[in-house]
Amino acid sequence: MNKKVTKKNNPLNTAPWRYYLVLAIVGLIYLALMARTAYIQVVEPEMLQKQGDLRSLRVAANTVQRGSIVDRNGTELAISVPVQTVWADPKIIMDNNALAMTEHWQALADVLDQDINSLTARVVKNPRKRFIYLERKISPAMANYIKELKIPGIHLRKESKRFYPTGEISAHLLGFTNVDDKGIEGIERMYDELLTGTGGAKRFRKDAKGRKVEIISVKEAEYAQDITLSIDQRIQAIAYKELKGAVQAFKATSGSVVVANIHTGEILAMTNSPSYNPNNRRNTAIHRFRNRAITDIYEPGSTMKPLTALTALEFGSAKANTVINTSPGWMRLGGRRVSDPINRGKLSIEDILVTSSNMGTTKLALSVPKDYLLTKFFDAGFADDTGTNLVGESSGMMHDRSRWSEFELATLSWGAGLAITPVQLARFYVALANGGIKRRLTIVKSDGEAPAFDDEVRIFSEENSLAVTHMLEAVVDEHVPKAKVDGYRVGGKTGTSIKAVAGGYGNDYVGLFAGIAPISNPAIVVVVVINEPSGDLYHGGEVAAPVFSRVMKGALRVLNIAPDAQESRTASKHIDTNTSKANSREKTNTTVAGEHHA
Amino acid sequence: MRSTGQDQKKAISIWQRLHIDVPLLLGILTLLALGLFLVYSAKGQETAYVYLKARSIGVALLGMFIVAQIPPLAYRKWAVPVFVVGLLMLLSVLLFGHVGKGAQRWLDLGFIKFQPSEIMKLIVPIMIAWFVSQDNLPVRLSTVIQAFILVLLPTLLIAKQPDLGTSLLIASSGIFVIFLAGASWKLISVCIALTSAFIPILWMFLMKPYQKQRVLTFLNPEQDPLGSGYHIIQSKIAIGSGGIEGKGWLQGTQSQLEFLPERHTDFIFSVFSEEFGLVGVTALLAVYLFVVMRGLWIAVNAQQAFTKLLAGSLTLTFFVYVFVNIGMVSGLLPVVGVPLPLVSFGGTSMVTLLLGFGILMAISTHRRFHA
Repeated sequence: MNKKVTKKNNPLNTAPWRYYLVLAIVGLIYLALMARTAYIQVVEPEMLQKQGDLRSLRVAANTVQRGSIVDRNGTELAISVPVQTVWADPKIIMDNNALAMTEHWQALADVLDQDINSLTARVVKNPRKRFIYLERKISPAMANYIKELKIPGIHLRKESKRFYPTGEISAHLLGFTNVDDKGIEGIERMYDELLTGTGGAKRFRKDAKGRKVEIISVKEAEYAQDITLSIDQRIQAIAYKELKGAVQAFKATSGSVVVANIHTGEILAMTNSPSYNPNNRRNTAIHRFRNRAITDIYEPGSTMKPLTALTALEFGSAKANTVINTSPGWMRLGGRRVSDPINRGKLSIEDILVTSSNMGTTKLALSVPKDYLLTKFFDAGFADDTGTNLVGESSGMMHDRSRWSEFELATLSWGAGLAITPVQLARFYVALANGGIKRRLTIVKSDGEAPAFDDEVRIFSEENSLAVTHMLEAVVDEHVPKAKVDGYRVGGKTGTSIKAVAGGYGNDYVGLFAGIAPISNPAIVVVVVINEPSGDLYHGGEVAAPVFSRVMKGALRVLNIAPDAQESRTASKHIDTNTSKANSREKTNTTVAGEHHA
Repeated sequence: MRSTGQDQKKAISIWQRLHIDVPLLLGILTLLALGLFLVYSAKGQETAYVYLKARSIGVALLGMFIVAQIPPLAYRKWAVPVFVVGLLMLLSVLLFGHVGKGAQRWLDLGFIKFQPSEIMKLIVPIMIAWFVSQDNLPVRLSTVIQAFILVLLPTLLIAKQPDLGTSLLIASSGIFVIFLAGASWKLISVCIALTSAFIPILWMFLMKPYQKQRVLTFLNPEQDPLGSGYHIIQSKIAIGSGGIEGKGWLQGTQSQLEFLPERHTDFIFSVFSEEFGLVGVTALLAVYLFVVMRGLWIAVNAQQAFTKLLAGSLTLTFFVYVFVNIGMVSGLLPVVGVPLPLVSFGGTSMVTLLLGFGILMAISTHRRFHA
């Protein structure tokens, strides 16, 4: 076509180079457009895609009310109640010049118990903010009053507040939530997820007018669950009342009570004194929040002697009727002295427990190989937590060193040189009482009579466990009258230990009592620890046994367990005169068994 | 490519008889079809708009076909009277025009409302092409100056409506003719200088506050993201969030969720970019490039100065449409109301464009009989 153009050049001589120029310019501009879009789409897209999502993606949280904590019978221990929170929108306040309503603000400051100047200052300092908390979780009456003030930009918002109807009785166990309803202590923290549920959330796109157009993902709300504890609030209340009384009467620093079901490992009560008011924690010293029953460790003292006796029986170095000569009432072990207060002479194993003879216990301990003794102590669970999963539970202090001197073994055998929590002690007595089966303790109600967990281990033979359990009845009958419970056969062991301080032992004592009832068909274990009684009385049999007696009595009645002592005790007293105690006890057993069958 | 008719001895094809330029038609139809799909997506999948657009496509194609039958020389004869009528209509718009969307652009003739400025997009290049092709080319200085005045008249009248986008398009369509006619570089430099000098005057006296705001916004859209910068920011987000492969047809969030303003008209390119990504943009620009190249090819091969200039001007004006629209939505240029040619919803501009293509086809297919 160039030929044509040149032929007819006159009218068509419109400078063809201009067309080439135009072509070049067109090409360049195209390149510019391409480059521009490529830049936006390839170099900047992440930022722009994010911006796009920022404009359209929204997440709507769907909050759920926190679940309740109830005891095994459904009694509410922790509930959420709706309350109001008052907040301010400073921008609205400034726009409406609402600060000019001085009287209203004064009234607001008064009802919130705040200084009016600091209150208004918070608004003035953030004039462009849209949300400031003024006071959270106020009472409905206050909320109504504030509503009536009708200050522009002052709003109320529904929140829920945690309320603990049982107050200080279960405070340590339940723990508490923070102001944002998150569990930060105790059961509240341990089961925070279940109690909170996961407030469902919806990710969706909204359009420019705010309409939901596409739901991208929906996280179904997992509704908050209620937690049913193994606790029986009735027993818990009795335990707390008795413990509080004892702690005050004996001027003790603190005390703990644990009540456990021996068949299921369920903890029926766990309480400490002094406690605090969980509904108003202001000005509460922080150490009061501690659930000492699981966090604090004590030397268990003589409450370990049944374990030593059981170990000897298990090993076979002693029989139930073995008699041990403890004369002259003292001995030397590697240069250290072991002694009884008086020379008790020849003692049966039962007598060793009844008189709490250190000599007898030492001889029993040394009659088995070192490793065997240590194994039994480890088996008893003194180096593990008890399986409750409670927040802050201690695993006790039990050395796993390989070198133990005879003296160290001796002290271990009567409960010195190791330190355990009240729940660990309860766990050992649970195993003893149920015939030698160690199981995890649980704070959550288990269904029916079955244990909550199936990881139970037999650590003692049933025969020997039963024998020692019966010896413990003699301990109470003959030595610890204050631990007796009218109408029931009760067994238990006192313990009194001196508190260790840096570099040795100090002047403070710990009085303990661990016991089982009813002996004819063991059901529950109660452990009482009275820490640092500072009055004249400090012995476990004096300070802890009375608490044990009353708590055990209350628990047995609450649980509707039939008394097993009436006939058997009178019967045993008659027969007792000529026969050995072991015989009389056997008869008692048959009698009771007969009753049960009847 | 047979319609290019390398060999005149060959039988004249059916397309030639119908005065249809097949490559151009294919390019146009591709863009129109794409427009239907995009309007469907941009308007929230409402078929009503697609139907409306399809109807105007039908009318416009018919118009194009009719125009293509008219020999180009007829335009030359009628150039002056039509131009005068056009100017009168623009004047009457200013005097008793219909106000819509804050601007006086519509003339209500009782039975039909239309924008005279649209038809001027065709009349001005015809007029100027006629005017400069009176003399032998290249043009003399005096002709250039007179031609400039002829361009300036309708441009100012339309700018007064106000309709900045159209007035710029009309001015450029006229200037393209003058440029293609061979104005000397000296002259071109003088013009550029004059234009530069004119900018402050334009800014001070002619531009409406909202137009000034648009320019300011263009320079810094982030200064007022919820106000005047909103359009351009949302548009850039839409383009950018498409990435390389795009989100897929009907999947663009910016457009589907109505964050994008004017998404079926001026900002339809953003919708396209978001949904089809860089791959789609490349393809779309290739189609536009093809149409423009075909138009220029027709211009280069036109056998008379008038048709040559007219074809070049129409093609370049089409190209300016593309450039201004894409430049605007991608933040290269200030926001002026220029639709994406053939793709955007909006019947009037499409009819004008297709009529222009009808003229191109006439130039392409009639030339042989006048050679």
